[in-house]
Amino acid sequence: MRRFEYFRPHTLDEAFALQGKFPDSRFIAGGTDLVVQIKNRELQPSALISLRSIPGLSGVAGDGVTRIGALTTITGLMNHPALQRNFPVLMDAARNLACVQIRNVATIGGNLCRCSPCADTAPPLLVLDAKVRFRNAGEDREIPIHDFFMGPGETCLAPNEILTEILLEAPAENARMLFLKKGRVKMDLAIASVAVLLEMDGERCRKARIAAGSVAPVPMRLPDVEALLESARVTRELLDEIRHLAAESVSPIDDIRSTGAYRSEIVGVFVKRAIEQLMGWSPV
Amino acid sequence: MKRDVSFVLNGLEVTVAVDGHDRLIDVLRGPLGHIGTKEGCGEGECGACTVLIDGLAVNACLYPAMEVEGKQVATIEGLRDEENRLSVLQQAFVDRGAIQCGFCTPGMIMSAKALLDANPVPTEEEIRDALLGNLCRCTGYVQIIEAVKEAAIRLKDGS
Repeated sequence: MRRFEYFRPHTLDEAFALQGKFPDSRFIAGGTDLVVQIKNRELQPSALISLRSIPGLSGVAGDGVTRIGALTTITGLMNHPALQRNFPVLMDAARNLACVQIRNVATIGGNLCRCSPCADTAPPLLVLDAKVRFRNAGEDREIPIHDFFMGPGETCLAPNEILTEILLEAPAENARMLFLKKGRVKMDLAIASVAVLLEMDGERCRKARIAAGSVAPVPMRLPDVEALLESARVTRELLDEIRHLAAESVSPIDDIRSTGAYRSEIVGVFVKRAIEQLMGWSPV
Repeated sequence: MKRDVSFVLNGLEVTVAVDGHDRLIDVLRGPLGHIGTKEGCGEGECGACTVLIDGLAVNACLYPAMEVEGKQVATIEGLRDEENRLSVLQQAFVDRGAIQCGFCTPGMIMSAKALLDANPVPTEEEIRDALLGNLCRCTGYVQIIEAVKEAAIRLKDGS
């Protein structure tokens, strides 16, 4: 590997100061993706500035609004009882992210900041209407996660900003949610993934949130499908229409892992399947 | 610029001079001479380099060496006892034919150890999930999973 310096600052201010000193440095969280990118010479930073020793960036806290530190590992998420109880859709994604060795080191902040279209934690956070908070040298900013992803590998963070927290409002009592993912094998990156959150009142859907990964330049919501669910009576008869609309709402590409056509098909099937499961219907 | 990093390796305190770009596996196999840990893909796919850090399985090929400061690191070398006898888990791998070329074995065993330390009576599904990040190109996995089951039984019986 090309040589670089490695720093472990203990405060955010120290981290920003180091970044000022090494303009082509990178911040590193878990590094499970960054180290591979450096090894493959996709990135050649002069220094890595580790965020792992900065207190307060990892862990889960809060009762009204749940605050997840950006440096919380995927295993850290899985081991947190309140998250398991309140946000099962995020737990589904965490459990199915890569393998134990990666989950023990990779962080939720890294998963988001890498901004891969297939980031497993993104669709659940989209359906949960999460907010993300970040800090630059001067101030804190907070934005809805929908505005965070700009393009493959590109977030709305400025180079001198650090994602510090993910904020989650408690879902409604009657909210049901699910994450489904298709990979070639379980530890592979997603060919396609879908997260669904429904708040039902009989056959009426008070709130629908549908998001998909690996089917567009960034993880995305499917607003047309959400609108259809919220405007119609949710019955088995509606499922086929939903499936077609979901498949048509995405714009996936062909790549080494799959074809665009297959990805569209999978998104339609997964949205239908998720609604079936959340409604307690047996599969047609 | 090299900096001294101190950590506990298989129960013994060590201090080693580390470059910024060194990964844990570079330091283990280089200056520390612990060549039991293997590097396969170097990208976190194959798990041959699996070691335990503070009891959790991680890929040593992706772990910056600077980050082990003050941590507990366990490698395959630490499993044998004072009289150089294999651990129960290692012996179960031998007895069940779970080793062929042996390249994946140190990583497999460390992943299995992390599992059994945390969950002494795992289901087959839990064993498969724990070993998902470890590739073996020889055995087809069946013997490896049987070996972990066997080790769990032997550890429970105290034999």
